[in-house]
Amino acid sequence: MLLLGIETSCDETAAALVADGVILSNVIASQIDLHAKFGGIVPEVAARKHVETIGYIIREAIDSANKTPAEIEAIAVTSKYGLVGSLLVGVAAAKSLAYTLKVPLVGIHHIEGHIFANILSNPKMSMPHVCLTVSGGHTMLVYVKDLCQYEVLGNTLDDAAGEAFDKIAKFLGLGFPGGPIIDKLSAQGNKKAFNFPRPLWRSRTLDLSFSGLKTAVINMFKGKDSSTLPIADIAASFQEAVVNVLVSKTLQAAWQKGVSTISVTGGVATNRRLREAFSEICHQEGQQVFFPRPDLCTDNAAMVAAAGNARLKYGNVAGLDLDAIPNAPLKGVT
Amino acid sequence: MRILGIDTSSRFNTVGLIDGDHILADFTWEAGDSLQKIILSIDLVLASGGLTLADVDGLAVGIGPGSWTGVRVGVTVGKILAYATNKPICGVSSLDALAYQARDVPTLLCPLINAGKENVYAAFFRPRGETVVKEGEYYVGDIKGLLKTIKEPALFLGNAAHLYRQIIVEELGPLANYRGEGDVQRGSVIALLALPRFGRGESDDALSISPLYLKESLAQALLAKRLTIS
Repeated sequence: MLLLGIETSCDETAAALVADGVILSNVIASQIDLHAKFGGIVPEVAARKHVETIGYIIREAIDSANKTPAEIEAIAVTSKYGLVGSLLVGVAAAKSLAYTLKVPLVGIHHIEGHIFANILSNPKMSMPHVCLTVSGGHTMLVYVKDLCQYEVLGNTLDDAAGEAFDKIAKFLGLGFPGGPIIDKLSAQGNKKAFNFPRPLWRSRTLDLSFSGLKTAVINMFKGKDSSTLPIADIAASFQEAVVNVLVSKTLQAAWQKGVSTISVTGGVATNRRLREAFSEICHQEGQQVFFPRPDLCTDNAAMVAAAGNARLKYGNVAGLDLDAIPNAPLKGVT
Repeated sequence: MRILGIDTSSRFNTVGLIDGDHILADFTWEAGDSLQKIILSIDLVLASGGLTLADVDGLAVGIGPGSWTGVRVGVTVGKILAYATNKPICGVSSLDALAYQARDVPTLLCPLINAGKENVYAAFFRPRGETVVKEGEYYVGDIKGLLKTIKEPALFLGNAAHLYRQIIVEELGPLANYRGEGDVQRGSVIALLALPRFGRGESDDALSISPLYLKESLAQALLAKRLTIS
């Protein structure tokens, strides 16, 4: 079945064609450069850019796969979780297409999209598994019982992990987005130089928190001349604290649910130290860990199409009154 | 020529359908759920006019100014319908559409759309023949600043004209005129305004069509200010 996926929940305008697990096109227009000068994502700026870009991206996704709109058999769109003004553009585009082409429309939760990024990348990854989805907008632990069957185990209580990276990079004057910059810089730093706090590390909860860690880093170096600071050591030590928390909470979740398969997805899943730490510890603990292919870690529409395909198998079709819901909980099909 | 008109930029959302200068259907509802209702409303209006999307020859979409979130729904729907059906599209200013509804009134026409905190989007128009002609540029700013420039009788149109009626009457006295009708956007009027352009073989590029915001986002404005100071 040929599905068009559309994803505009944050600052990427994306469209993709996926047929039976095969990605025919995966077009992503990132707005990162546009938001960099603000030091973070500005919702109104993002929404305006989505409207400008969405038509071109959809056309490119269809054209580059050598398909025509008439060949599309279903449309899947991220309709839940994200910036409401951004989500709205994708949903408006998706329902316009579904109406014109007379094909089913499926609304996807953004987190469900990320869960499917890894299922699409690694078809052999077994169910059930525990999935850590981690990016600049979310940090969530989900028990994936089966396709489209979820139990949310933990969530960040404050900042997303990627957001903490952004804020620390901004504080250190390194630019935006912070994740890739800190990742790169950390390679030259000593990750044991500073022992930053690991919030909720020893706690039984599967919720996470990064705000206290961020504040601890800022308080330690606030007011100091940045040219004298050991930037690479701070970056490496901060990153290590985040990675420790993410790895230990995910393993705790896997033990709790009695599964031996771990899925790590979302923009932060590109972080080299995170991948290394997961691989090391999962090897020791007899867990199998999977990461999406790099282009499916950050926001994309191929994952949305894959999730849509799975939901369609359950007959889960949305009406043309589909709405954009910015803070909807993740729910499986019932 | 059969044209489907859409406008979701103001308090009332609307979809209308015309065949030449004949209005086939119009549906207007109080907004707040533009995204949920837009396609269902389009389907309703097409069915009321006895047509399907395939029977339509062109699309007209209100590009604002008005609600930033609202206008994005209509513009996105318009552009994707035009792309997917391969039909031409025309963007129409929502202020022009308000003025057009009073084209039979031989006076200065001043449609107002609320921009919040006693600010308005506005423009001046004069009736000419079967249509209206805009004088000067679109205005966005303080309502009182706009009123100070008016030295002759003017007909105020649109929702914001009623919202700021007290200020307008205080400032202009007998120069301020109102009428009961023509103050709500109508999809058919959006379509009628596009008709002459389609007739001349003109249209807008579907993929690049964008809202007429008239104002940059607050973050963009603050950034520009910061760059000017430093």
